Amino acid sequence: MDFTELTTKPIDITSVARRVVPPKCGATVTLDGYVRQFTNGRETLYLVYEAYEPMAMKEMQKLVEQVKQEFEISNVGIIHRLGKLEIGETSVVISVAAPHRRAAFAACEWLIKELKRTVPIWKKEVYADGEVWIEGDQSTSPL
Amino acid sequence: MKINVLLFGATADAVGSRELELSIEETATAKSAIDQLSRQHATLAKHQLLIAVNEEYADPGTILNDGDELALFTAVSGG
Repeated sequence: MDFTELTTKPIDITSVARRVVPPKCGATVTLDGYVRQFTNGRETLYLVYEAYEPMAMKEMQKLVEQVKQEFEISNVGIIHRLGKLEIGETSVVISVAAPHRRAAFAACEWLIKELKRTVPIWKKEVYADGEVWIEGDQSTSPL
Repeated sequence: MKINVLLFGATADAVGSRELELSIEETATAKSAIDQLSRQHATLAKHQLLIAVNEEYADPGTILNDGDELALFTAVSGG
């Protein structure tokens, strides 16, 4: 089963991986993206994620359709967390199940790269002395 | 005619609102709506904006229709 979800609750990584496994698959690659404490030497206290939710769901579903056309994979699951996240908490999980591992690794890498480029979600880094909304790479944006 | 403008993250902070109604002229483009909004909220013009119309990415030249949902945001940073 494929799925895409947004949630404000902690993500159970293992269950994400298990949900995508069909009988003919031999490997599931799961990315666990979590909140980094230090970015370019500056300490983050916590993050706040915000999404344009209906569009984010549409864009994630488009990624699932595209990745299944381009890679030899079976099922995909993507869950992105929203709201306030503490250091080390999981912000995004992407699981890709495939008959063979190579395609699963490649598809997982493609999915996170595209998610960071196209899905309308933003993170605010909060520091001891301020906060900033992080802007993605404008040069690779969809427009 | 009227459109609904949605703002997120940095653009919501710049405008001081997450959602507002904007009166625009017939055949106005997304760009002209942004220019109109930027005259009231100068800090919005400091950002390079991405545009979505009715939940799909759109070019600045997209012509808006009555009741459209225009979302303005900075380059996305999820993950």
